[in-house]
Amino acid sequence: MNFSILTNNIDMFLEGFKVTLMASVIALIASLLLGAFIAVLRIAPNKLLNWLGTIYVEFIRNIPLLIIMLFVYLVFNFKGLTAGTIALTIYTTAFIAEAIRAGILSISKGQMEAARSSGLTYGQAMRLIILPQAIKVVIPPLGNQFINLVKNSSLVAVIAGGDLMYQADLISARTLVVMDTYILVAMFYLLLTIPLSLGVGYLEKRLAKSN
Amino acid sequence: MIVFDQVNKFYGNFQVLRNINLTINKGEVVVVIGPSGSGKSTLLRCINHLESITDGVLTVNGISVSDKKTNINKLRREIGMVFQHFHLYPHKTVLQNIILAPMKVLGQTEAQAKETALTYLEKVGISEKAYSYPSQLSGGQQQRVAIARGLAMSPEIMLFDEPTSALDPEMIGEVLDVMKALANEGMTMVVVTHEMGFAREVADRIVFMDQGQILEEATPAEFYENPKEVRAQLFLSRILNH
Ligand SMILES: Nc1ncnc2c1ncn2[C@@H]1O[C@H](COP(=O)(O)OP(=O)(O)OP(=O)(O)O)[C@@H](O)[C@H]1O
Ligand SMILES: [Mg+2]
Repeated sequence: MNFSILTNNIDMFLEGFKVTLMASVIALIASLLLGAFIAVLRIAPNKLLNWLGTIYVEFIRNIPLLIIMLFVYLVFNFKGLTAGTIALTIYTTAFIAEAIRAGILSISKGQMEAARSSGLTYGQAMRLIILPQAIKVVIPPLGNQFINLVKNSSLVAVIAGGDLMYQADLISARTLVVMDTYILVAMFYLLLTIPLSLGVGYLEKRLAKSN
Repeated sequence: MIVFDQVNKFYGNFQVLRNINLTINKGEVVVVIGPSGSGKSTLLRCINHLESITDGVLTVNGISVSDKKTNINKLRREIGMVFQHFHLYPHKTVLQNIILAPMKVLGQTEAQAKETALTYLEKVGISEKAYSYPSQLSGGQQQRVAIARGLAMSPEIMLFDEPTSALDPEMIGEVLDVMKALANEGMTMVVVTHEMGFAREVADRIVFMDQGQILEEATPAEFYENPKEVRAQLFLSRILNH
C-alpha cells in the first residue's frame, strides 16, 4: 500500500471528507423531517393526503437515485453539491417515510383511540402518543437508511459535487494509482458509517431499556 | 343527555346498528348487554364519535355528534372512555398518563393537573403508583388508572366497554368497586358488561342488544327475573349456565 498517495493528497481527501460529511448530515436531517411528514400523510384520515403520500413514495423509490440527481442538476441548474444534497434528500425521504409508517402502524390502534377520546386533536395524539412510541421501533431500520444515505452520497461525484468520491476520481486520474486511492476512500467512508452503526446500536439499547 | 334517534350504521353492506332509539338521562347508569357481535361496542363508540353513524340523529347534550360543524374534540372533553384493554400510554408514568389531556386539552397548569390527578388516584386507591409505568402494574391497577385518567377531565359522561373482561377474576372486584362508587356519586354512565352483580346493584336500566337492534329495555330486576324477549332469555340462560 502506497501511503504517499494519502500524504501527498491529504488536502483533497480532507476536503472530500468534509463535503461528504456535510451533504450526509444535511440530507439526513432533512429526510428525517420530510420522511416523518410523508409517513403521516400516508396514514392520516384523509384520502387525498394518503394519495399524495403514496404517489411520492412509489414514484421516488422506484427510480434510480442517479437519475434524480441528474434531473435536479440539469433542470434546476444548481451547483453539483447542492443538487446532489437535494436529490439525496428527496430519495432517502421515500425510504424513511416507509420505515416510519411501518413503525406507526405497529402501535396498537387503541393508543390513538384513547388519545382522541380524551379530546386531543389528531396532530397532538400523533406527536405526543404515537410518534414517541413508534420511534423505538423505527430506530433500527432508520439506521440502515442513514448508512445507505452516506454510501449513496458517493453518486454526487457524477455531478462534480466535490465529495470524497469525486476527489478520489481526480487523484486516481492524475496519479494513476487507482487501487490504493479507492482503498483509502473506502476507509474514509468507514470512518463515517461505522460510528453511525455503533451510534444506532447504542440508541437502540438505551431506548429498549426505558421500558 | 344522550339521545339516539333512529340511528343506523353500516360497515359496507353489513348493518351493525338498526333503528336505534335510546335516551340516556343525566345521572343514569345504563348497562348494555348482548351476544358477541351484537353491536354493543359500536353503539358505545358512536357516542364519542370513534365510529360515525350512517343515518339518524345522535346528540350529546343537545349537540349532534355527526354534524360536520360540531367541534368533536370539544364534545369529547365531556365524555370519558374506558376500554377493555386499558390503553394506557406505555411510555408515560401513571401520573403523566392522567395529566396529559387536562394540560393539553383544558390548558391546566402542570401543578393544577397533578393535584387533580393525585386526588383521583387516591379515589381509585393507587396513589402509591403515581410514578410507576403502566407495565409495572397489574391489570386491575391499570384499569383503575384508566378510570382516573378519564375522570381527570371532569367529564359529564363515562363510557365503559367491557372494563373487566380482560382482567383476572380476583381483580374484577376492585375495578367494579370504583365504578360503583362513581355511579353512587351520580355520574352518567353507559357500561357494556356482563357482570350481573354490578348491573343489578347500580344499573338504572338494562339495554339488551342482538344483531344490531335494541330488543329490550328494562330495569335490572325486570330484566333478570323475567326477560320478555326469547333471545334475551336464551342469552341469560347461556351466561348463567356457563
Ligand atoms: N371496522 C369494522 N368493519 C367491519 N365490520 C365491523 C367493524 N367493526 C365491527 N364490525 C362488525 O360489527 C359487528 C358488531 O361489532 P361490535 O364490536 O360492536 O360487537 P360487540 O357487541 O361489541 O361484540 P363483543 O361482545 O364481541 O365485543 C360485528 O359483527 C363485527 O364483526
Ligand atoms: Mg365489544
